[in-house]
Amino acid sequence: MRKALTLFTQATLARAYPRAAWMFRSRTWLFQETLLPVLSVSAFAFSYKAMGAPREYVGFVILGAAMTTFWLNVLWSMGAHLYWERDSGNLGLYIMSPAPTMAILAGMALGGMATTTLRAAAILAAGLFIFQVPFDPTSWWLLLVVFLLTMAALYGLGMMFASLFLLWGREAWHTVNLLQEPVYLLTGMNFPLKNVFPLAVAGAALLIPLASGMDAMRQVLFRVDGVLGIGWEIALLAVLAVTFLWAAKGLLDFLERRSRIEGRLTVRWE
Amino acid sequence: MKSFLHTLRWSTWLGWQIESNWADPWLFALYLIIKPITGSLVLVFMFFAARAVVQTPPEFLPYVYVSNSCFGLVGTVMFGMSYVVVTDREHYGMLKYIFVSPARFQGYLLGRGIARALEGIVGGGLTVVAGMFLFSEVRSSVVGGIDWAWLFIYLAIGGAMLYACGMILASAVLNMHRNGMFLSEGIAGVVYLLSGVIFPLSELPRWLQSVALILPTTYWLEGMRRALMGTPPGGSNLAKSPLTEFSNTELALALVLTTIVLTAISQWFYRWSVRRAWRDGKIEEQTGM
Repeated sequence: MRKALTLFTQATLARAYPRAAWMFRSRTWLFQETLLPVLSVSAFAFSYKAMGAPREYVGFVILGAAMTTFWLNVLWSMGAHLYWERDSGNLGLYIMSPAPTMAILAGMALGGMATTTLRAAAILAAGLFIFQVPFDPTSWWLLLVVFLLTMAALYGLGMMFASLFLLWGREAWHTVNLLQEPVYLLTGMNFPLKNVFPLAVAGAALLIPLASGMDAMRQVLFRVDGVLGIGWEIALLAVLAVTFLWAAKGLLDFLERRSRIEGRLTVRWE
Repeated sequence: MKSFLHTLRWSTWLGWQIESNWADPWLFALYLIIKPITGSLVLVFMFFAARAVVQTPPEFLPYVYVSNSCFGLVGTVMFGMSYVVVTDREHYGMLKYIFVSPARFQGYLLGRGIARALEGIVGGGLTVVAGMFLFSEVRSSVVGGIDWAWLFIYLAIGGAMLYACGMILASAVLNMHRNGMFLSEGIAGVVYLLSGVIFPLSELPRWLQSVALILPTTYWLEGMRRALMGTPPGGSNLAKSPLTEFSNTELALALVLTTIVLTAISQWFYRWSVRRAWRDGKIEEQTGM
């Protein structure tokens, strides 16, 4: 058990290293991950202002933009990345090595987390200082719990997606593209779900951790009503986190085996 | 010129094949419309959410919906032309072969951009049509307002503008690593803000309004909105934009002038970037992160 844990940690850190090292070697990301996203989020904030919406609505936009950076990280830097790794010839090496695939994915997540967190922080800072969003949480601890559970569920879901990328070819890129705008819509990135969707649709949307996480955070940060009570949403996030992480392990094993049988682990330029 | 057109024709064909043959035609058609429609629906639901708590002027709905649909074309061409550099270099490993072949490199990038523009036009057009079916506010604005002559003019000048925008981004990505593929997304976001896609320009601070008035996309979007829906009602917040006083001719002239300047900049930047990428070995560089 101890040996397995050590191997898991070593593999995670090893895969996180190139991403951390890259941050110091290529500085263009600083501009790309801080200033540009802040400016694009501002458009939605100005739109709410032009509509005469209350200030917490601008807060919803800021929160949504900050949280979706993690969703984009999951999609592009974990899911689609396995597809890139296959093309660059690394995937075969990962599978051949004794390191568990979950550890490789955890490393990708950890390595990408630094830039993602900075991007989210820049967006939140813009909300606070430029748009003077009234962040007034009922409890910082509750907010932290919701955030951590959301991250666990989100990255669990990301690992599940990543396993599909072991099988997919060119459609992987398009699938990632397709998982952006429709998910932004369904999760209520810029608006409270309860005000807009019928209860059945909002309830179904909560099964996406981004939706339940944001809905819970809106309740804590802006003291507005959510689709479910905060306690229920925290419980749901906990269940989603455990389920997705467990399912990701099973799916990764299953699809890795299937990819070996179909000889897809080393297929390139598909 | 003949060689340029030859390259353009084949790269457009190649681009269309790459973009479309990964799925059967029905699935691809669904893919073409889901992304832009859901993108516009996010704005529609923002409008509904605001309307649930305050009185929101009804003309905002067609404004954001149609404007966002038109902007989709800017996003797809900018992303398409710059993403070609990343995929051809790092995914297919073909960029260096294109570069050393007799094909015109710029014509190749443009052709791939045209393939994406076709996607954008289909997606944007269908989004507007869907909006007319789904929302009465969009229907009443578009049905009564389309000015076909101006629409054609703005689409034609807009094509040149999009070419210049795409060339600038593709040139920048030539000298970047794989993370460059996200640059166009960020730049598109900035243009989204500064062109007043989903709010009137009068909402921006005055100094940012001056920046907005330098961008050809600002004039193009205003022109497209006018060609599709006419001018916003007087007294509305939307009519407070600094462009309200421009006639259609003045607007088109401003678009032509800014597009000429942008094209000149893009050509200079393209030459500088290709020379730099060639000298630094970036044409065949493959990176991971």
